[in-house]
Amino acid sequence: MNRPTELRFQDVTVCYGRTTAVDGVSLTVPAGQVVGLVGESGSGKSTLARAAVGLAPLAGGAITLGGAPVPTRGRNRPLQMVFQDPYSSLDPRMTIGESVAEAMPPGASRAERRAEVARLLELVHLDPTHARVLPGRLSGGQRQRVALARALAGRPAVVIADEITSALDVSIQGAVLNLVRELQRELGLSILFISHNLAVVRYVATHVAVMRGGRIVEEGPTDRVLADPGHDYTRELLAAVPGRNTP
Amino acid sequence: MALASSVAPPAGPAIPRTGAISHPWVRFGARRVGRLVVSLWVLVTASFLMIHLIPGDPVRAALGPTAPARLVSAKRAEMGLDDPLLVQYWHYVQHLFSGDLGTSLVSQLPVSQVVSQRLPATLGLALLAFLLAVVVAVPLGVATGVLTRRGHGRRTELVFTTTSVVLGIVPDFLVGVGLVYVFGVNLGWLPVAGNDTPSAYVLPVLSLAIGPAAILARIIRIEMVTVLEADFVRTARAKRLSKPRVYLGHALPNALTASLTLGGLILSAMVAGTVLVENVFAWPGLGSTIVSSILNKDYQVVQAIVIVYGAGVLLVNTLVDVALALLDPRSMIRED
Amino acid sequence: MRRWTRVLRTPLGLTATVLTLGVVMLAVLGPILWTDEANAVDTGNILAGPSADHWAGTDNLGRDILYRTLVATRLSVELALAATAIAVVVGLVLGTAAFLLGRRLGRLVSAVINIAVAFPGILLALFFAVVFGVGATGAVLAIGLAGAPAFGRLVQTLVAGVAARDYVSAARVAGVGRTRILLRHVLPNISEPLVVNATIGAGGALLSFAGLSFLGLGVQQPKYDWGRLLFDGIGSIYVNAAAALAPGAAVLVAGLAFNLFGESVAKALGVGVVAGIRVPDTRRPVAADDAPVGADLGDHDADVVLDVRDLEVTFPAPGGPLRAVRGISFTVGRGEAVGIVGESGSGKSLTALAVSRLVDEDGSVTASRLELLGKDLRGPDNATQRRMLGTSLAMVFQDPMTSFNPTKRVGRQLAEVGTTHLGMSRGQAMERAVERLDAVRIADAADRVHRYPHEFSGGMRQRAMIGMGLMGTPALIVADEPTTALDVTVQQQVLDLLAAIRAADDVALVLISHDVTVVGEVCDRVLVMYAGRIVEELPATELATGARHPYTRALVAAVPDMATDLDAPLATIPGRPVDPADVPPGCAYAARCPLADARCRTDDPPLVATTSGRVACWHAGEPLPDPVLRADSARFETLVETS
Repeated sequence: MNRPTELRFQDVTVCYGRTTAVDGVSLTVPAGQVVGLVGESGSGKSTLARAAVGLAPLAGGAITLGGAPVPTRGRNRPLQMVFQDPYSSLDPRMTIGESVAEAMPPGASRAERRAEVARLLELVHLDPTHARVLPGRLSGGQRQRVALARALAGRPAVVIADEITSALDVSIQGAVLNLVRELQRELGLSILFISHNLAVVRYVATHVAVMRGGRIVEEGPTDRVLADPGHDYTRELLAAVPGRNTP
Repeated sequence: MALASSVAPPAGPAIPRTGAISHPWVRFGARRVGRLVVSLWVLVTASFLMIHLIPGDPVRAALGPTAPARLVSAKRAEMGLDDPLLVQYWHYVQHLFSGDLGTSLVSQLPVSQVVSQRLPATLGLALLAFLLAVVVAVPLGVATGVLTRRGHGRRTELVFTTTSVVLGIVPDFLVGVGLVYVFGVNLGWLPVAGNDTPSAYVLPVLSLAIGPAAILARIIRIEMVTVLEADFVRTARAKRLSKPRVYLGHALPNALTASLTLGGLILSAMVAGTVLVENVFAWPGLGSTIVSSILNKDYQVVQAIVIVYGAGVLLVNTLVDVALALLDPRSMIRED
Repeated sequence: MRRWTRVLRTPLGLTATVLTLGVVMLAVLGPILWTDEANAVDTGNILAGPSADHWAGTDNLGRDILYRTLVATRLSVELALAATAIAVVVGLVLGTAAFLLGRRLGRLVSAVINIAVAFPGILLALFFAVVFGVGATGAVLAIGLAGAPAFGRLVQTLVAGVAARDYVSAARVAGVGRTRILLRHVLPNISEPLVVNATIGAGGALLSFAGLSFLGLGVQQPKYDWGRLLFDGIGSIYVNAAAALAPGAAVLVAGLAFNLFGESVAKALGVGVVAGIRVPDTRRPVAADDAPVGADLGDHDADVVLDVRDLEVTFPAPGGPLRAVRGISFTVGRGEAVGIVGESGSGKSLTALAVSRLVDEDGSVTASRLELLGKDLRGPDNATQRRMLGTSLAMVFQDPMTSFNPTKRVGRQLAEVGTTHLGMSRGQAMERAVERLDAVRIADAADRVHRYPHEFSGGMRQRAMIGMGLMGTPALIVADEPTTALDVTVQQQVLDLLAAIRAADDVALVLISHDVTVVGEVCDRVLVMYAGRIVEELPATELATGARHPYTRALVAAVPDMATDLDAPLATIPGRPVDPADVPPGCAYAARCPLADARCRTDDPPLVATTSGRVACWHAGEPLPDPVLRADSARFETLVETS
């Protein structure tokens, strides 16, 4: 499972028609670390994620993994993603076992695949006998766990989590975040954790980058950025977080 | 009410200055005209190709197997059928622009004359049917929509939906046949052939309009019911506006714009429905002409009428798009 | 499979299914049984009217029309099905081409489909009839190809809808090829609408065929389908009307059968999953509120803006009445901010709607007291009540994107309040609208007032909504999740605005939210709702430290903020919020509560007064067990039960 490699965005630019969604972004996710990417709507953070996994075309710059360009074709994909909407991320007509197995590298026998699916489901604290179940019977939180298991099935070096708890009820959010931390510790994963919620990012990420209008306005270790923000926008974001603001 | 000035005015999206207001319309107009021109070009080309895709010799087919070979080849030369395809195409388009649509192989009259003689009857029929359909469907759809909004009028909905579905499925020519039987054969109240008297218009117009009116009313009702569930209708109710105000002032415009696209398709289909209805009622219009021309293999007439019908449909579609843009300002932006 | 049988439950579906089966059987059996009778020529009995021997009379060769109509079923149905097959296959190829070929070529195919779709089917059919020639084969190709663009458009739309779903993106990210994605993910998920439309299309093809043959362009002699029979029959309609009516009726019945069958299947499949669970009658004796809150009952206190007592909201549901709000009471004082917090199914939004008299007509709202500024709101919806509510109560809803009418300018929508309730002229109302937009800090108000809602950003729209509520002089603002859909910095601006309004004019606020930290920051008092009841009321300042109900404490603990302990796992609440249709006996929270005992599961705790508020719990204030142990018990959660 461990392929300690570094994900690096170098001067990445992504355009949608006439608008520039990502404008010359450079960011590094060091091996085995969790980097948080914080921004509001229109900041381009989701677009950056989609560009990394090949879902959006690069207009400029490069995205590399351990020095080599990230493969966007073929079955070997060391970069995987978990999406925001739990109700759209699983094919309603495939059992969750099949959904997870689809992402596994080809070449294993059926028994091996079944065993691996069971292992992955256990890893995300789901009952392995649920492999035969259709997604319609799962709650939002359970579906996100399946999505996590599917992302892990490809034995990725880096996982991008795009607002994975934003659509969940408050009481369930915590369970998924705990799981993310646990998996990261156990498997040594590198994670790019995208969220608009500073408090959540603070909880999971050791490094944080703040994005606005397609650009990174500030980045650094989480405790430093949040205690002593350098950019006005970061200060604005911090001030806007409801609740206790001083660690 | 004085508010604390500590609340800083945040910046919003920049408003384009007054001069730029014309821009969305200009862009929209250019796009629509462009699309119209391309579609017309495709229509003309398809019409041209239509004849050349037919296996065999169209002139021979039209003149019959007993016609002398010399006559056939003379006709072919006259129609330019031995020239290369692109040359023929160029001539065709040229003639089209100058109004020369060819000559009817059957009647020897210029096709443009045939078309101009027959067009008014079809146009009259189509326009009257269109008016009837809209005048009946819109109030009916709106009223039924209000009556059957969420949780209300279950029985009304059942009756309305069943009737409109059945009437919408029955094809216009069958309605025509039925009307001919009841009012022509049985009761003898109304004429069933030709367009000599005003009363001759009644049955054909009804045949053409009933189906589309039913479908249109159904669409409008569904859109009305959907719109009445919308958030902004809840806002209007929260403003405690009177019910007529909420239904007619807020819900109706949105229901109409939502119905316009499908409604436009229905209405342009009505244009083509004249083909069948005219054949039921021996109506002296383009519809009966195109059928007899196909049967007689008088292809130049067929070509011309196909273009006229096609252009008519495209025109209706464009008008619908313009109406939509006028009613719903977002539709212009959405395409950018 | 089960859902398909639901078609048979409706009278329409049953009729259509029976009819369709009948047509199919006739198509199969007709020629086998009656070919001879249909072909029997009788030159002595030409064009006879209906008689005992020939129920529909005879044609110009003395052949029995009824038998010919019955026998013609097979050809008519076969041709229609063949044409539909062509339309579906070509449509599938065209529609999936855009997905398979990538962006450029896909757009070209799309443009071709769009141009072709603009022309009505009959025009295309005539065009192809010319090319392929008159006769059955030509007609099949003509109608098939004429229907292909419409199918192509449908397939394209369906494919695009599925392709936009995240599971397709996930498959692409996993490296699955486009073709495989099409076959494994896209096609299975569009099969249902496709089959339904194909069935309806078959009905349409049947009718189109009848039309073409009726024109003489379809089936030619000696073969005959219904359309051909109509063509023969219409000529002699004055002599023997049945010659035309019999085939006409056959076309009608068969066309209707196919279409209605398709439509009722569509309806049956399109209906959402109906919870077939039988719900027990949840009507139980309401726990008595021992602590009246605020002023004496029956006395109007001038400082009380909103007075609610025993509010209940009930909806009709298939399994019995659904009690979404089960008897709540609270008051709001002048200038006070009261927050209502809860998860999905708690009934908090419905409380807001009920208090504002905006619950849909199918729900029933009852209360022993519901007063705004001393006026009883339970009366009928007449002009007086509307005026009062329109000027004294301001509503702010959750989704600013859809709360404004998209076809009207913003200024007019604000001015409407002025002209309807405040007796202003158009001009005066517009002036006030500009002034209100300015008051809610929208820049360039005089220009913005002439703009459409889609030209405003989300935050600006929300502020414009507030401005609309301020057209009168409201004593109370009810805001239902006003900032949930907004970015956090925009949320701050909106909340600051609300605070400024309150301070400037002593306006009371009821703020509903699922976000307990927002409520804690903005409000003076907080009501916590669970499963349609108030489970705790406390001052906002005591949320973090002085909450007594286990749910309140869990809610507060579960939300990470900037001071959360980074070394401990986040607190979670096991299970999921109660479904209002399925409230268990006893305390509704018992299933998720670490302190629950047998008494909690049978007896509903009453809402009792505490030193600073109210709480409904048998174990109020008791210490909770270690959250670390609880986090792991969320391990093997149960599945949602569906029908």
